[in-house]
Amino acid sequence: MSNEPLKRLMCLGCGFLYDEALGLPEHGLPPGTRWADIPEDWACPDCGTPKRHFEMVEIPYALGQPEFCPADAA
Amino acid sequence: MRSANPNSARPMPPNAFQPIQTIKEMLMNSSFVMRASERGYNRFLSTGAASSYIGGHPDSILTRHSSFNFGPYQAGRPGFGRLRVFGDETFSGAGCGYNIHPHHNFIICAFVLECQLTHINTVGNIDQLTPGDFYAFSAGSGGKHCEVNLKQDDLHVIYIWMMPDQLLLPPLYSRSHFDALSSRNKLVTLVGNVDGGVRVSQDVKVSRLVSDKSITLEYVPTSAVHGVYASVLEGTVDCAGTPLERRDSTGIWGAERIPLRTSAQETDLLIVETAA
Repeated sequence: MSNEPLKRLMCLGCGFLYDEALGLPEHGLPPGTRWADIPEDWACPDCGTPKRHFEMVEIPYALGQPEFCPADAA
Repeated sequence: MRSANPNSARPMPPNAFQPIQTIKEMLMNSSFVMRASERGYNRFLSTGAASSYIGGHPDSILTRHSSFNFGPYQAGRPGFGRLRVFGDETFSGAGCGYNIHPHHNFIICAFVLECQLTHINTVGNIDQLTPGDFYAFSAGSGGKHCEVNLKQDDLHVIYIWMMPDQLLLPPLYSRSHFDALSSRNKLVTLVGNVDGGVRVSQDVKVSRLVSDKSITLEYVPTSAVHGVYASVLEGTVDCAGTPLERRDSTGIWGAERIPLRTSAQETDLLIVETAA
């Protein structure tokens, strides 16, 4: 497992957030899934924007977010 | 500044190495002049491939001039500071617009220039905006909106999207009005942390100047690390020595003050200041 910090990426088509720590279990991506391990033809589940048009962000979460984080539950 | 010559005989001081900026970051923090014709251009029909996205009568056409990469336009600049979208859009035909669709995080501002915009969102607003009206919709943890022209005339709107300063904030909608008559020949801040401004959760300020005579003033950025993106909506403006025509724009970083001079004719200038 990589020691690299977990990343967050934002869809530039709609603002949808992918957080490596959270994954997208409802879309078949378990928590901890690295961005690099998501297929290149993957697209934003909300708006269809291609993976290459996501931007890595280093923006903190608002208070109380994310509502469920597996890292907290562990 | 990093040493330009890696073979320089002079030893580098221990703290001289800065992280190498990505091309994207450099493009978002460098100055430029963009002529109206250099912007991206997309045209969407309410029929065919985009029909679930674009609403309206079969003859509806939505056109978008993009200052930065957005949607199908990806051949330009990635953004400017915290800005990612600056769209100069026209909705032609009654019912033309964006069907209700989801957003997160982005703070979306709309400035109505002509006709009437009907905006519906999941924060609970059904709003109708006419020239001078503007809104800020912070999608935060999730919100949907619909943008539609219910009139026969063309609707002209400027859309500005900015990154938030926190992720998944509670969604929020605010609207206000710019009175071009009482604010004539004055620079007014519409969005930002100032008296009378619509507050957004980001270090960005949007100001507007409508003049009917030649006005000379200096725009003073908040700090040396704030950038200023100035877009001429109508008329002509001399901005820091660069003549800008209608829908030309310029992005400026690192200026202590930016001298502006509007033409004697009716001029409309929109200025967006952003942290790096």
